[in-house]
Amino acid sequence: MTDTLGTSVRRKEDRRLVTGRGRFVGDLTLPRMRHVAFLRSAHAHARLRNVDASAARAAGFRVFTGADFAAVSMRAVSGLPSYVETDQPVLAHDKVCFAGEPIAVVVAADRYLAEDGLELIDVDYDPLPVTVCAWNPPAAPVHPQAPDNVLLERTFTAGSVENALTDSHLVFKRELITNRHSAQPLECRAGVALWDDAIDRLTYWNATQVPHVMRNMLAELLGLREGQVRVIAPDVGGGFGVKSVIYPEDVTLCLMARALPGIPLKWVEDRSEHLLAAAHARDHRYLLQAAFAADGTLLALDADVTCNVGAYSVYPWTAGLEPLMAGGLLTGPYKLANYRCTVRGVATNTAPAGPYRGVSRPATVFAMEAVFDEAAARLDIDPAELRRRNAIAPDDIPYTMPSRLVDDSGHYLECLQMALDAVGYEELRAEQRRRRAAGEPPMGIGMALYNELTGLGRAASAGPRMPFRTGHDACTVRMNPDGRATVISGVSSQGQGLETTVAQIVADALGIGYDDVEVRLGDTDEALWGFGAFSSRQSVIGGGAAHLAAGVVRDKVLALAAELIEANVEDLRIEAGQVYVAGEPKPSISLAEVARVAYLESNRLPEGFEPGLESTRFYDPIRGAFAAGAQVAAVEVDTATGALSILNYVCVEDAGRVLHPRIVEGQICGAIAQGLGGALYEHLVYDDAGNLAGGTLLDYLMPTSAEVPDLVIDHIARPAANPLGVRGVGEGGTLGPYAVLAGAVRDALGVPISSLPVSPATVWQDLQS
Amino acid sequence: MKPAAFDYVRAGSVEETVSVLAEAAGDAKILAGGQSLVPMMALRLARPTVLVDINRIPDLDAVRRTDGAVEVGALVRHRDLTDQTEHPLLAEAARWIGHTAIRTRGTVAGSIAHADPAAELPVVALATGATATVIGPRGTRIVAADDLFVGPLMTTLADEDLVTAVRFPLPSRWGFAEFARRHGDFALVTAVTAELDDAVRIVLGGIGPVPRRATAAEAVLAAGGTAGDAADAAAQEIDPTGDLHGSAAFRRAIAAEMVRRALAGAGIGQGRA
Repeated sequence: MTDTLGTSVRRKEDRRLVTGRGRFVGDLTLPRMRHVAFLRSAHAHARLRNVDASAARAAGFRVFTGADFAAVSMRAVSGLPSYVETDQPVLAHDKVCFAGEPIAVVVAADRYLAEDGLELIDVDYDPLPVTVCAWNPPAAPVHPQAPDNVLLERTFTAGSVENALTDSHLVFKRELITNRHSAQPLECRAGVALWDDAIDRLTYWNATQVPHVMRNMLAELLGLREGQVRVIAPDVGGGFGVKSVIYPEDVTLCLMARALPGIPLKWVEDRSEHLLAAAHARDHRYLLQAAFAADGTLLALDADVTCNVGAYSVYPWTAGLEPLMAGGLLTGPYKLANYRCTVRGVATNTAPAGPYRGVSRPATVFAMEAVFDEAAARLDIDPAELRRRNAIAPDDIPYTMPSRLVDDSGHYLECLQMALDAVGYEELRAEQRRRRAAGEPPMGIGMALYNELTGLGRAASAGPRMPFRTGHDACTVRMNPDGRATVISGVSSQGQGLETTVAQIVADALGIGYDDVEVRLGDTDEALWGFGAFSSRQSVIGGGAAHLAAGVVRDKVLALAAELIEANVEDLRIEAGQVYVAGEPKPSISLAEVARVAYLESNRLPEGFEPGLESTRFYDPIRGAFAAGAQVAAVEVDTATGALSILNYVCVEDAGRVLHPRIVEGQICGAIAQGLGGALYEHLVYDDAGNLAGGTLLDYLMPTSAEVPDLVIDHIARPAANPLGVRGVGEGGTLGPYAVLAGAVRDALGVPISSLPVSPATVWQDLQS
Repeated sequence: MKPAAFDYVRAGSVEETVSVLAEAAGDAKILAGGQSLVPMMALRLARPTVLVDINRIPDLDAVRRTDGAVEVGALVRHRDLTDQTEHPLLAEAARWIGHTAIRTRGTVAGSIAHADPAAELPVVALATGATATVIGPRGTRIVAADDLFVGPLMTTLADEDLVTAVRFPLPSRWGFAEFARRHGDFALVTAVTAELDDAVRIVLGGIGPVPRRATAAEAVLAAGGTAGDAADAAAQEIDPTGDLHGSAAFRRAIAAEMVRRALAGAGIGQGRA
């Protein structure tokens, strides 16, 4: 049978990945290859008086400095009225704006020697005042275009908050701060750039989530024709958003390659560089004022959100990335008529903030759920019940959120109820009361509901007003002369198993075996177009394109088969690579024979049939598919040390139609682990001078398998209105843990949690008060 | 994150090691497990000009039960400690060190010579009154753990010394408690208590530049005080500093709790003698 869609079929990529034969950028070796190392700023904010590379050059190193590429700058563009456009140099020349910013590059025979070369470069810094915190008054402008450091400010409004905030039964304020952290994929950034001057072409092998976007923007930044640029993303070891950015290091590598034709230049980022200079995220403050009716109905929310966007407006996504997502999704799966939310992105002398799995929503869910936890405590309503009274329900669909995004889901309470049942909510409440009475270690229950906006089409992706809309992807499905298929998809994979899911989709649509479908990804010379992996978009959009393209090929196969066997096309169906006529138990013709005719036997081709069996189709869902989710956990607090033990952790999500259960559960588990890291461990701390404290994984604590509890994961499956019925599932898991764990600790101690991460030290401090 | 250039010598004997170390006059480092040294070299925080690899020297990898003690050679790995049953305190302490890969390569003697203030084994060494066999240019000498640790990553060992073995006396009762952010991290606080010849030692790690005996707490116990009294005394006699993972007050509280737990594990000061 060919029914692999919806089953946990063996992943196509696993043989090479699990046996250590994946091919990553780091594995790439080319003739004449040279290695580069970046000299990074030791200051957070300083004029560069002089960058003296003479000693390095005298020692035989090829060195590039900011002066070499001063004509190139990266300017993330948005049409939003308040957005201030600023420039990011590819190598700093006039001044540096964060510690870790690239200043110069050394080219050498290997990375060891390149780092020796870095030690020979002398930089003369003239320190400037440093701004680290986005909500304290700025010490000095980071960019001359924005004297107040505000790169973007926008207010979302719906209804009127004024009356509710004065007249309601319950009105309260909360201030919440989330911790700067970052994705930390197993493979850091990496690239190999080669300029072939025999054909005037640039090839850039890059650990990227966005090969086509990279091609498009490299061509523009380097002044090349798009056809002169080829971007290849081979196996990529995790992305989580951090690799959907076009970084100055990428552009520098390609600029250097042009200056050194025929010499492949390789840069494999190390972990220290990654911690310093790859995209950070989630450094936010939420000032909230909420109004509730006595029955627990949320009446109004007035919010002021400041996002620390770091030194530069992240290219090409802009400094609006986090603030706009925060304002657009803050209210999440809750009904609300009166909403006012001012969001701003503020530049500081810290590493640029960029996309990280969940973009802002782990923080907004934390903020929103903190409001409900506060209201539940003040109104003495069970927290689960309070959520029931406010969540968007299926009857409300389509529900226009106060930010005017349209929710197509509404299945939140079903997820919540399943999660509460799975965790044994009533029993846990009884246990909690028993412990309180017995003076045993306190236990708390936390919960979160969320709506993950996935698969954004052109309408849903219009918000940031960038000069492109990320609503579509292309896919080419080619049936080969042997009746098997080659798929060239515009999706990109960083370990999520896209080769597998695309093959499942095409096998299903064509009626051939999963093993008879080969999928090729990541090469812009092969695939027509794909925006890449972000916003939980690829199974919806790239999957939709694969489904549509395969459908066109199937239709042509059937039409050709009908002519060849002289049957009505309506009576034909494909099963396991064979064409059957309705009512007949035996196949009438094989796909291999039909395909052979299409390519090799034009003598048998019916009138009007063009040879070949191939289709390329785009898909754009126009809107998005919201994926509902609920997470519930119970924690125990060690009152002597502040240590937390997670007793249970349950997640119930709606992935729509599940294409591959194990991949979906892997996405959810990994996302929850990253969320748990953000809630309890991961914190990028700058000192007042703008130096990143620590700077290795000795101090930047990521959860390991020992810290992640056993997760109970369950699904509801409410198909979305797209060709496959799927809802994205890549990010949802990250949205819950901050809220759930902070809520559980609050529930255990009776003390509101206002900042993350929650650590033994913070819990211990709360216990002292 | 690549080391600066260095020479590599694979030593065939203890004598060769000592002579290479002496020749380098302070610029050489011994490579045993490399679990601390190599990352420091990669960050270019350590820049030895010569690395003397002792891994091929014969007869340094034994764990021997001797009279009232367990002696481990310079190439005994943390993993060998978790696998042995002769010295349960060492087995327990070694389980808290890093992760499998680290325990498989890292050496016991290396950890003690490296003297990280938050590492487990220096605390155990001080608590059990361990002694190190040290071979230098002027021959062999025995250095007590009491005389070994002088500061963070600093010992009384000379640059040309090699620790060939460490002898850990077997306590009649012992307790081990550690608090770290994650399993396998360097400790925020480690507390080890060991009873030897009817004297109880309490040693804390992670709370200062070197592992520190909580002598006031020991005195409380000697005077018949409870574990709780001793824990409170220990918290008062140390002088921890705050860092990314918590304030000084937090560390003091954790230290008291770890002492309490270590003593409970040892069955010392629990109210009924």
